[in-house]
Amino acid sequence: MPYGEKSSFEAIKVPLTWGVMVIVAGLCIIGVLLFLGDRRSDMTEASYGNRAGFDAAAGPANNLLSTPAHWVGGIAGWFDDYLFAVSENRRLRKEVADLTQYKNSFLQAKELNRRYETLLQLRTDPEVAMVTARSVSVSRGPFNNTRLINAGREDGVKFGHPVINEQGLIGRVVGTGGQVSRVLSVTDVVSRVPVVISRTDARAIMAGDGGGYPRLEFVRGKDAVKKGDQVLTSGDGGIFPRGLLVGEVVPSVDGVWRINLYTNRGPIDMVKVLKYDDFSNLPDYTILSTPPVTDVLPPPPAPAQGQAAGQGASSAASSSVAAPVAAPATARPTATRLTTPPATPPAQPATRAAPQATAPRPAQAQTQAQPQAAPVTPAPPPQAPAAPADGD
Amino acid sequence: MRTPINKNMRRGLAGKIIGPHEWIGIPALLAMAATLIMATNIPLPWGLVLPEPVWPLALAFSWPLIRPSYIAPFVLAALGLFLDFFWGAPLGFYVLLLMIVFSITFLIRSYIVGQDMTIVAGVYVMSLIGFFILGTLLTTLYAGQVPRLLGVAEQMFASLITVPVMWWLLDKYLHADVRFQ
Repeated sequence: MPYGEKSSFEAIKVPLTWGVMVIVAGLCIIGVLLFLGDRRSDMTEASYGNRAGFDAAAGPANNLLSTPAHWVGGIAGWFDDYLFAVSENRRLRKEVADLTQYKNSFLQAKELNRRYETLLQLRTDPEVAMVTARSVSVSRGPFNNTRLINAGREDGVKFGHPVINEQGLIGRVVGTGGQVSRVLSVTDVVSRVPVVISRTDARAIMAGDGGGYPRLEFVRGKDAVKKGDQVLTSGDGGIFPRGLLVGEVVPSVDGVWRINLYTNRGPIDMVKVLKYDDFSNLPDYTILSTPPVTDVLPPPPAPAQGQAAGQGASSAASSSVAAPVAAPATARPTATRLTTPPATPPAQPATRAAPQATAPRPAQAQTQAQPQAAPVTPAPPPQAPAAPADGD
Repeated sequence: MRTPINKNMRRGLAGKIIGPHEWIGIPALLAMAATLIMATNIPLPWGLVLPEPVWPLALAFSWPLIRPSYIAPFVLAALGLFLDFFWGAPLGFYVLLLMIVFSITFLIRSYIVGQDMTIVAGVYVMSLIGFFILGTLLTTLYAGQVPRLLGVAEQMFASLITVPVMWWLLDKYLHADVRFQ
């Protein structure tokens, strides 16, 4: 081929503009198909699988980036503490003095609450194991509110676990890798959390919209909400345990109730993942079956019972002394529920029996609840239900 | 008759030939790095947080103006996919948004190239607004809930930081290579 002439390849006339437009159109179609095929509202553990590898790479990268920032922050904090130590000390002294009286009230209320739980045979929430992690990356835009934390499957984190910090609820785990997990914030547009208004016990749904003030929707009950009401998780649906702190109700300019999240009070750095399993994942769902209230409440005292009845009650009470020996074995750490009264002998601890007609149930209840609630002080045996019978 | 660019001429222009790795590869990597850095969870005082601009938006606008390219759309789609994964968006969300900006800019490039930079910046801001309006519509479509419009405006405002990036890209590469004309 003579020098300076076009090669055969260069002679090919490629319609560049049209070619690019065809490519762009094809990529747009692929984007539409990807978008239609990925429904985040139906996010499941399996659907996250294709993102775990990416997060496993992005998590350490962001962790590496945030480490020097935390060092600098720590140094700045040290100087801040040094310069303002005197004023901080004064403030803390005043705060300690204020909190001391609350501490005494708290201890009294706690003991009273323990006794009530014992009387009602209420099985309290078991301790939920937690994993502490650091938030290494966050997307805070209006379309997506997620964050990566540096704890994953190797730390026991699973899909659906709630994530909190010292202020309140942050979100839930929607994907796990080996050492990193993705958390869907409660502020994300696809987030829906069942909540309860603490003052009125009214149920509602907290719906995220990408901002720091999620909407309060489907509020049940008339005048159930007012400004400043505390909002907790209701536990409905089984994803979140009941009673996690969420925020306070505030009216918004668009005429709907919103929630000022407690987590807005400060930056989210260290978080805790509650290893709280969804009810639907329980291996034995029959433990959720709650006995009828008539099985749990003490029976009403007989109106006119003679001495014989009183003697019968006393003998039953004395015979029930043996029950506490086996009662703790029947106690199983499960979610909040009322226990089945162990009216049957210890040989049949799992069966539900008919309510006893005699008085010693409180004594049984107290013994049964001991594994759950450690007594602060020795509690006197509750004799109130048995008193009328004995008095006759 | 036009003189074909032969090898001698190419040798003379060699110093001004801009390869795709320069105007596509390096800016794409920089956009990814900037996105990673801005997403780092750094507790700032007074409740401040780092802004979250959509860096690849500057590339989606600049690349079709610099020159038509077969590589640029693919790289831009990859960047969109990166944002989908990294920010936890539904797959295809940012791919679609970025490709729409790219395609519209590509269609009107002959009207934009050669204009004063102020006008180009104005068109870019309009495309930025269109990007977020479309994002709001798509989010409403799949979430069944309108995202907080103030938040959309905040991110749109934060994304204005990419205007100098777009400016720099056009200034550096628009007339850098005669083959681009």
